[in-house]
Amino acid sequence: MAVAPSSDKNARLAALLPRVALGDQAAFGELYELTSGHLYGCALRILRDPPAAEEILQEAYVNVWHHAGSYEVAKSQPFTWLTTIVRNRCLDQLRRRELDTVTLTPDGGDAPEYDVPSDAMTPAEMLLAGAVAVSVRDCVDALDAGPKQAVALAFYHGLSHSELAHHLRQPLGTVKSWVRRGLEKLRNCLDRAGYARAE
Amino acid sequence: MNLSRPDRLSRLDALAAEYALGTLPARARRRMARVAQTDTVVASAIRGWEQRLSPLAEAAPPITPSPRVWRVVTLRLGLEPVRAAARGPWWTRLAFWRGFALASFVAAVALALVTLMPRPEPIGQPIVVVLAGPDAKPALIATMARDDRVMTVKTVGAAPVPPGRSLELWMLPDGAAPRSLGVLPPAGLGRITLPALPDHALAGVPALAVSLEQAGGSPSGAPQGPVLYTGRVERFY
Repeated sequence: MAVAPSSDKNARLAALLPRVALGDQAAFGELYELTSGHLYGCALRILRDPPAAEEILQEAYVNVWHHAGSYEVAKSQPFTWLTTIVRNRCLDQLRRRELDTVTLTPDGGDAPEYDVPSDAMTPAEMLLAGAVAVSVRDCVDALDAGPKQAVALAFYHGLSHSELAHHLRQPLGTVKSWVRRGLEKLRNCLDRAGYARAE
Repeated sequence: MNLSRPDRLSRLDALAAEYALGTLPARARRRMARVAQTDTVVASAIRGWEQRLSPLAEAAPPITPSPRVWRVVTLRLGLEPVRAAARGPWWTRLAFWRGFALASFVAAVALALVTLMPRPEPIGQPIVVVLAGPDAKPALIATMARDDRVMTVKTVGAAPVPPGRSLELWMLPDGAAPRSLGVLPPAGLGRITLPALPDHALAGVPALAVSLEQAGGSPSGAPQGPVLYTGRVERFY
């Protein structure tokens, strides 16, 4: 098992969650302080819409208050649990939005203009910075430029295959295979390095 | 879709990976989530990928959300908006008065700016209270004239009132418990009739406050819910 990049924070969160489940408001406040910046960043980068990101965050914390008791230490790290809740809600909303605004343009030639919001770090740099555990960093580093960029843009900004194709100026097929190859390679490398999931 | 058959496992893994990454299109994404609810093999494949990708999420720079987010969360859950450890009613707490001082300062500056602006007519409503939350942003503005018992309260930036709750306006007399002035409408303009003309009704009342109560207002006559906004009574005469 790789060393978690923020084992201190995760340990603190793991201690707070059961207290939140018991209705401890101070614990809930601390949990919010510890996590809201990261979760909001996550949501805002994906949705690119502050009111929508705030709404998701509010929903997520209301849910955490009600369902903190259903968090299982054995199944995932607390930070992963919280990030996953927020990311999945954002992605659900984003993909639903796309479904609602399907246009009948031929050949997808009119893919929506898409600007990746500027962060101080590029998505690919974030990908590397995130891979703090040595084996994860090595594995991300080992990705080719194309797959690395595609995985990073999809992960941080919620880009779909067609948006990736548009943004990276590549055919859809190429981008799909970049994503697939990137993920496969990441997995094989992580497995070889003995990065096991917490199960 | 039986994804957990052994020959489908690499297909499942690829789908789980793209689910966790976020690239699955809407329909496939929904289907995957639905299957995962009952199929533990699928659920655990997804969890595996969420776990693998999770260290990446922490790398992205955090962005501090607006204080509004925490306020709305606490409002919706009916918790106390100020994380004060102190016990006792809110109007006796130090943190409250500290926040109040800041809000009053900001309100005073706002008022100074307003009154410095050239005005074609004299101020029609010479008593003004700017009610603000802990972030000191004006939420409600109450105005009244000396010769009229009706106070007008306008919503300018208050958070939405959750269903089944009401905003209640209070006078905060010096050295005494808050006294209710009535329930405010959820948005727009409210009219509150004072028990007497302002000079009399607001004598010894340096400030007003708004709390979140059950629908129709606090049944006990004392504030029971969290205080959301406070403001100093300013007289322009």
